[in-house]
Amino acid sequence: MRSLIWTIAWKELREIRRDPVTIAVAAVLPLLMLYLFGAALSLDVRDARLAVYDQDRSAASRALAERFPHSGYFKRSHEVHAQGEIAALLDGGRATLVLIIPEDFERKLVRGETAVVQTVTDGSFSATAMVVVGYAEAIIQDYAFERAAMRLAAHGGAPPSAVRVESRVWFNASLESRNTIVLGLLGAILMAFPPLLTALAVVREKEAGSVQQIFVSPIRPYEFIAGKMLPYAGIAFLEMLMVLAGGLWWFHIPFLGSFPLFLGATVIYVFCTVGLGLLISSVTRSQLVAMLLALLATLMPSFLFSGLLFPIFTMPLMFQLYTYLFPARYFIEIVRGIAMKGVGIDVLWPQFLALTLYTLLVFALTTRLFRKKVA
Amino acid sequence: MMGGGRRFAGLVRKELIQFLNARAMLALILYLYTGEVLMCTTAMSFDVRNLPTVFVDLSGSAESRALRQDFASSGYFSVSHATATDAEAARQLDRGETLAAVVIPKEFSRQLARGETASVQLLLDGANANAASVAQGYAQRIVQNFAIERAAVQGAPAAPIEHRPRVWYNSELDYGYFMVLSMMALAGMMVGVITAAAGIVREKESGTLEQLLVTPVSPGEMVVAKLLPPLLVGLLALFPSLLVATAVGVPLRGSLPLFLLMSGVFLLSSLGIGILVAAVSDTLQQALLISMLALMPLLFLSGTIVPLESMPLWLQYLTELSPLRHYMDAVLGLFLKGVGLDVLWPRLVAMAAIGSALLALSVWRLRRGLG
Repeated sequence: MRSLIWTIAWKELREIRRDPVTIAVAAVLPLLMLYLFGAALSLDVRDARLAVYDQDRSAASRALAERFPHSGYFKRSHEVHAQGEIAALLDGGRATLVLIIPEDFERKLVRGETAVVQTVTDGSFSATAMVVVGYAEAIIQDYAFERAAMRLAAHGGAPPSAVRVESRVWFNASLESRNTIVLGLLGAILMAFPPLLTALAVVREKEAGSVQQIFVSPIRPYEFIAGKMLPYAGIAFLEMLMVLAGGLWWFHIPFLGSFPLFLGATVIYVFCTVGLGLLISSVTRSQLVAMLLALLATLMPSFLFSGLLFPIFTMPLMFQLYTYLFPARYFIEIVRGIAMKGVGIDVLWPQFLALTLYTLLVFALTTRLFRKKVA
Repeated sequence: MMGGGRRFAGLVRKELIQFLNARAMLALILYLYTGEVLMCTTAMSFDVRNLPTVFVDLSGSAESRALRQDFASSGYFSVSHATATDAEAARQLDRGETLAAVVIPKEFSRQLARGETASVQLLLDGANANAASVAQGYAQRIVQNFAIERAAVQGAPAAPIEHRPRVWYNSELDYGYFMVLSMMALAGMMVGVITAAAGIVREKESGTLEQLLVTPVSPGEMVVAKLLPPLLVGLLALFPSLLVATAVGVPLRGSLPLFLLMSGVFLLSSLGIGILVAAVSDTLQQALLISMLALMPLLFLSGTIVPLESMPLWLQYLTELSPLRHYMDAVLGLFLKGVGLDVLWPRLVAMAAIGSALLALSVWRLRRGLG
């Protein structure tokens, strides 16, 4: 019985070895993705380009404008001299934020009226635009508060209290978006390749008709599934180790928690990914459809609906529930928990439980579907 | 000549029938262009709303309660738990039960009464760095507003400065606007590469490619006949996508013919990538795996999910080779800025150049492989 599984696994492994493209893609794709994503996907805002249109040219307007580069978030890159230049600067992407200080700025401040300041932000990419608008708002309000205090003092009132926010960021003190992304990628990369490879391995035999021969032989469906799956599970496991090593070595991601616990989660997740591949293969006969299904059902959701980039708590409730349908969510929570927070199974057990149940469910469903095909 | 035309028409008909017979594939393509676009548009956002937050009020004063109200009513923070100690807040952060904690120290109201600088502590889970940065900005805004209002109450005449922020191209900072265009472009890229690669390799694998080539059909004609059905389907699938875009509030501001022209050239260049993949692989499995290898970086690093400006310079130059990057630029211009060919012609030229280079290369490669 067991030997039949090994026979199928061995045959599959020999076929993989004969196909240099498969081996090359299996080895290159994860590292390429890790490197490119780690290097390219930064949501950090540093040195946003600031253009200043100072119509007032007063001490007050200069003081306000000066605060932007001083904050460390902005780099003053352009001076605007006419309203018409603003559009060109933003259209050409040469400025991220334009600060417009109107003529009567200082006069109004001195008279005790409300002065108006305008900012125009390039909103084409909202992730960074939102952070930029937030910084600008904080700088302007800070200055506004000081002017309010000056007014009170001028009226002989007691100085008002300033309120400071002392913020401390846990688990990722420097707010490095790379840590967030690279750790999340561990979950997404494994959903990119192993399911596709496993699905193609089975559907290929279906297309060629050789799967019929297997079904008329004394091999049972689960033996066929297990045998087909094992080599790809092995490949997926190696890929995960490669990607982790790459993340630690290239991008110096933190890893605070227990490595054996991480390996445990990886083993479950690996079986989950190849299991999904088998599930895809059981519902289609064409490699092309298998590929499209793999893209739609495993790859895209594990990038978009897993918390890798887009925070889940912000999504509408229906989509928050939808994210539970994809195992990448559980695995990414486990990995970030172990690596960034250093927490253990006492905290992460719900995710472990969900991932395990999910994997078992996938296998049960796959075996059922295959059995039905055979009968 | 007449015979050649008829032959070619017959070839095109055969390809069309084959392509349209693959129902499951067509259904998936349609879903990619509509369902997936709609879902990602409604769900994906980098904004921070309803951030699970615990409020630790050690001061227990009227002022701290007012500040708590400010946080709760902002919509950015979901102040659902009330907890008495900061140790409890720390535990909840550790377990991931909450993502932020606001701690109001004991001496808060006393400091405010004396006119000293008071402080509010904000603890954030930085595991999602971008969400934490945005939340930090919101918290600062809320607290500073609180301070300015208090100063006003104390007798400062009017609020000294009114900030009027405006955001161009995307007035509500809605990432959905960007995402709907991004997903449309991604769909075109995926469909283009995969269908072209599969269409040609399948014939190669089953040996029918040789049969086709012993007929008077030239490799160039064969490639064109292979390209037409996916090009047609790719263009037609854009219309439901346009409906979705209009429904979610991203109408096409530029010209429709220009959009179709851009999309056609873009699809051709994606198909070109697919044919090149087909030319270098022997089996369908190889072709699909290589497509995946090519698609991964192309899909996510062409200015679709993050802007090019945030990438390292060498990578920005490299993306010039990606047709998706040029298409993304064109689509953003057409939909969000409403600009025309006078601005977008370099994108068109770039896509056409990339497309023709790819097609020429793959036809050459196919011919050599078979000759």
